[in-house]
Amino acid sequence: MLRYVEQAGRRTLDGLDQMGRASSLLGESLFWTFLGRRWRQPVRVRAVFAQMMQIGIAAVPITTLLATAIGVMLAVQSLYSLGLFGAQSFAHVGISLSLTREFAPLIVGILIAGRSGSALAARISTMSINQEVDALRAIGINPVRFLVAPALLAMLIMLPSLTMWANLVALSAAGLFVSASLDVSLAAYISNTMSVLVPNDVLHGLGKSILFAVLIVIVAALNGSRVTGGAEGVGRVTTRSVVHSISAIVLADMIFGYLATQ
Amino acid sequence: MSTLPQTQTSAPRAAAVEVRGLCAGYGDTQVLHDLDLEVREGEIMVIMGGSGSGKSTLLRLLIGLELPRVGTLSLLGHETARLGPVEMLDLRRKLGVAFQGGALFSSMSVAENIKLPLREHTKLDEATMDIMARLKLEVVNLSGFGDLMPAELSGGMLKRAAIARAIVMDPRLLFFDEPSAGLDPIVSAALDELILRLREAMGMTIVVVTHEVESAFKIADRITILDRGRILEIGTPEEVRNSSNERIQNMLNRRSAEEPLEPAAYLRRLTGNA
Repeated sequence: MLRYVEQAGRRTLDGLDQMGRASSLLGESLFWTFLGRRWRQPVRVRAVFAQMMQIGIAAVPITTLLATAIGVMLAVQSLYSLGLFGAQSFAHVGISLSLTREFAPLIVGILIAGRSGSALAARISTMSINQEVDALRAIGINPVRFLVAPALLAMLIMLPSLTMWANLVALSAAGLFVSASLDVSLAAYISNTMSVLVPNDVLHGLGKSILFAVLIVIVAALNGSRVTGGAEGVGRVTTRSVVHSISAIVLADMIFGYLATQ
Repeated sequence: MSTLPQTQTSAPRAAAVEVRGLCAGYGDTQVLHDLDLEVREGEIMVIMGGSGSGKSTLLRLLIGLELPRVGTLSLLGHETARLGPVEMLDLRRKLGVAFQGGALFSSMSVAENIKLPLREHTKLDEATMDIMARLKLEVVNLSGFGDLMPAELSGGMLKRAAIARAIVMDPRLLFFDEPSAGLDPIVSAALDELILRLREAMGMTIVVVTHEVESAFKIADRITILDRGRILEIGTPEEVRNSSNERIQNMLNRRSAEEPLEPAAYLRRLTGNA
């Protein structure tokens, strides 16, 4: 019994330690982003654009595919469930609100956590093992400024952008399905959707995506920097990073959703 | 041995590296105990020791990757603990480090690796940086290899490329971590020649951490022997070779100085409580 209490205590302390490190890493990233130039260590625009390409532009096809699938899936389920009450004509309400406030940011967040968060964790852990992070410090380059800050900036720009794109694609896909199923024009569906959606709904989703962006980068960087062992260690921290960031995204989504609707 | 004029025949030179009362370790384990060490400007100092002697920890302290628990460390006349971030950055520009495995950035070509310090610390244009990268590649006999990726280079070439990156800012102080490790004797000898040539041509102070006896005696002006985190001897290669210390003689003659150790005994040895 005592052993379990000890274990729980140790894990709690470790968790608190990780949260402290995460806050410190976030603070340091923001410091270099905004004050790096003053300390002669600016965050390079070229590095940010390179990350934006990897995180955002390269993810457009898969985001489009998933957003289409989510849009159609929501339309199918909404028509089915509302059809039980003969209220299929109100499908656009549930679809548009749940997509913009919940599904688009969540799916994009999970997708990017798996795609770019894992890549960042693998990159940092591989560089740590190969002494490349030591080499950066020896050259006089702060590793957080060089590796984490550009990824954070790029993620903060691209995740909300991808979320907006996912909103557009998913709403269009759902609209096409609903209009075909209910035999109403697409223009009428769009008009109905626009009458339901208010800017706050979209901002709610974008707020989440900003939060998810921070979580993905910080969790990935933190896990990547804690690598031990060789190639096996890289695999372990990469997997752990994806699991941690998806868990963090889902939990943060729930808390954000609750707080924002109070 | 190198061709640097002997200390006794030239004017006293300032200390490029000065270590006083240095203690360091990890967690509960103390690795270095009360070290005093001085490397004079223009000198090649080789730090030797067996596994677990603390030489890698000492190197990490010297290049600023670890902080000492006790004691002071001065590089090029600056006590590192007293430097602010900007001053430390200025100091780092005068240092070069060639890591054991090269530590080239695998996502960049060899030339991009060499240009990185220039890109980060100078305002040189791309054409000038290209010229400087080519020049440094020539110095290390890697002309024409700039466009290759690090994964395409052999072990010896990786180390040469790492040296080119380390000297691209024309540092005053250059550190090598096990330059000969994992190389065949011919490549290893060529690297020793390169280290000597760098000192001759660029007048750098060079600190080499190695366990390769032949290499150490070939390049060193002075040798520091570390054992269990303490300095056993500092002297010229002749002085070290003629040392009456049995542990040093064992090391030089590649005899095992002790019985195989269990992990617990190894840790005790590290902490100096053997």
